[in-house]
Amino acid sequence: MTSEVAIRIDGVSHAFGEEGEAHHVRALRDTSLDIFRGELLCLIGPSGCGKSTLLNIIGGLLAPTTGTVHVSGKRVDGPTPREIAFVFQENALFPWNTVFENVDLGMLFQGVPRAQRAARAWRALETVGLKDFAQHYPGQLSGGMRQRAALARALSLETEILLMDEPFGALDEQTRMILGEDLSVLLANTNKTIAFVTHSLGEATFLADRVAVFSARPGTIKEIITIDEPHPRKPDFVTSEKFTKIRNRLYGLLHDEVRQTMAQTMGSTP
Amino acid sequence: MKAATDQHQGGRQALASHAVQVCFLLVLIVLWFLATNRWGVNRLLLPDPVAVFWELWDILKSGEFVGDLRITLTELAAAFAISATSGVTAGYLVSRSQYRIRVFEPLFAGIYSIPIILFLPLYVLFFGLGPASKIALGATISFFPIVLSTIAGFGTVDKLLVTAARSMGASDYQLFRHVLLPAAFPVVLTGMRMGFTVALLSIIGSETIASLAGLGHRIVHLAEAMEMPRMFAYIAFVVAIAAILNLIISRLEARGRRRP
Amino acid sequence: MTQAAATLRHVLLRPGIARIGVVVLLLVVWEIAARRLVDPMFLSPPSRVLMSLQAVFETKGVPAAVLTTLWELAIAFVLSVAIGLGVGLAVGLQPFARASVMPIILLLYGTPQITILPLFILYFGIGAASKIAFGVSHGVFPIILAIVAGVQNIKPILLTSAKSMGASRWQIFRWVIFPHMIPSFFAGMRLGMTGVLLGVLLAELYVSTAGIGYFTNLFTQNFDPTRLLGLIAVLAAMAIALNEIVRRAEAHFGRWHED
Repeated sequence: MTSEVAIRIDGVSHAFGEEGEAHHVRALRDTSLDIFRGELLCLIGPSGCGKSTLLNIIGGLLAPTTGTVHVSGKRVDGPTPREIAFVFQENALFPWNTVFENVDLGMLFQGVPRAQRAARAWRALETVGLKDFAQHYPGQLSGGMRQRAALARALSLETEILLMDEPFGALDEQTRMILGEDLSVLLANTNKTIAFVTHSLGEATFLADRVAVFSARPGTIKEIITIDEPHPRKPDFVTSEKFTKIRNRLYGLLHDEVRQTMAQTMGSTP
Repeated sequence: MKAATDQHQGGRQALASHAVQVCFLLVLIVLWFLATNRWGVNRLLLPDPVAVFWELWDILKSGEFVGDLRITLTELAAAFAISATSGVTAGYLVSRSQYRIRVFEPLFAGIYSIPIILFLPLYVLFFGLGPASKIALGATISFFPIVLSTIAGFGTVDKLLVTAARSMGASDYQLFRHVLLPAAFPVVLTGMRMGFTVALLSIIGSETIASLAGLGHRIVHLAEAMEMPRMFAYIAFVVAIAAILNLIISRLEARGRRRP
Repeated sequence: MTQAAATLRHVLLRPGIARIGVVVLLLVVWEIAARRLVDPMFLSPPSRVLMSLQAVFETKGVPAAVLTTLWELAIAFVLSVAIGLGVGLAVGLQPFARASVMPIILLLYGTPQITILPLFILYFGIGAASKIAFGVSHGVFPIILAIVAGVQNIKPILLTSAKSMGASRWQIFRWVIFPHMIPSFFAGMRLGMTGVLLGVLLAELYVSTAGIGYFTNLFTQNFDPTRLLGLIAVLAAMAIALNEIVRRAEAHFGRWHED
């Protein structure tokens, strides 16, 4: 983590739908945050607190109702494929293409000249350990391997910033652990800035340099916790006392917000 | 709350669709009127819509349609009765064993994929030009969607449900009455609706191609006599009858599906 | 039971073989019924039909009529695909067009076209044009509907993902929407072929002064079940072959690779 600001979020709020309409939802309320270059910042909070919305706003997929986002000094007003690559939770791989073709296609969209694409694709696939499966189709792969492929696609775009929206959310716990460890290694080897949305306390504690804890909807950042542990983090970090203390602190911060979200959901059922 | 809004949206979309359809028909009728009355389109090709309307009025008032309608509907009823009973029975018997399904289902599906109307001349040769050939062909054609959906309905009942019932001591009859029948019912019902629609179309079709009576034949007769306004009137009449029958059968299907 | 007999039984009982067995059984029943039970004026046994196939084809005009029908089917199918693809893409890609034009398409698709067959013949004549037109009129709708569905039911995440990687509108169409819609397109073509077969053959049968309809009418009136069965068998075989071609194409090109 450096002290250079990669992403500056300033007074961002967002509401869906028109005021007064039945489906008007205030997703995000007055959020400000600086994300530093080279860090992995986790966004954690109860369902519907706006963390995915914030990620989409940072990535230029959504225009905020108020406030601005600056990435590397420049204001964001649309997708910025040269700076930012996404990894989504759902399977966003194109099912009719092989893994290799999927990675290649991402670079075509970004505008990488054809001559460079193959080498970059193989490098990315090597990094995630999928070289032997490059000619497979997504339908033939397990969930964990599909997300590796999605990660490879994002890595091949060679952006400074990665935005990851619960990328391991649909996977079983063991796969999550392995992928988390691999992500930590990746972080140590590159200087990427990663914003990572998750529901899992353990995942946030293991991966993050800092954790931004969100309040219930309409969400804003309640508190930011710093985790001082260098990457790559070893599996034994998980069983350490330091880990447990941080995880418990997160639990304490979140618990009330989660309860409040549940109450909101129950209360609004007709 | 969201479910209510979604329903509201769906209802609005359906309303919008119907509005577009009605608008389209109105515009069509206006253009039709202009074409024959202002733009000089040959009345032998396209009759004056006003004339068509009066012919339709006459047909309905004089009751001329009754004879042909009765023939067509009788053929339809008979054909459907035959195909429904034989289709459901055959479908149920086949569905009882995986082996039988694997043998017969592709056979039925394969035959159904060709236009069986092709065999009409054979039926006419065998049964003559009267209603019998129409009923036979109608029954033959509508047999297939019914038997195929019956096989699907009974054949894909969740094994777990059967196991649960058996474990509670259900007899063969109880199993049929309380597990298989309700589970298969919606699918079978859809198949019967498809069979009905297909029977209607094939009967009108065979009346058009080779018949002495019935609504299809009436239209052909008027075409050959170049009585354009009356022919158009009958076409409108038959389309309306078909639409009404389809509406009734769809409502019945929806009601039947909602019960379990 | 000996080993050989058991193996034989196992082979014979395989569903594919059993199916052939059923067909053979039906042919045998037909053969016996036609020879013994039914007046030869009304039904002909398959053996005689087979042997007279050559005679059918030697009847003046039959080969030409069959060939013409084949041409009509081919042209009607190609036209249906071309028009269906064009309209389907135009409607599917533009939400405004979809909302306004789809209800009209559905309305047309739902009306019983058989009622206006005499009109088609009146307008287009008794030649190939009316048969092709009626065929296209039946075949084009399933293709339009399938393509609109294929374009519409794309998972939004795929579009979002492409946009986030900087894809232009053309790139999204070429690399995301188009490949996504291919399976639907092939399924639509399969249904389209069924429609084209129905439309063309209906029109052919209706016109009793030329083409296939002339001969079916002739053989029927002359109480010649042998020739009639032969002709119909040939047409049925043609229909089966055409259906099979489209089905194979769908199985080969129209699927994404999944385990």
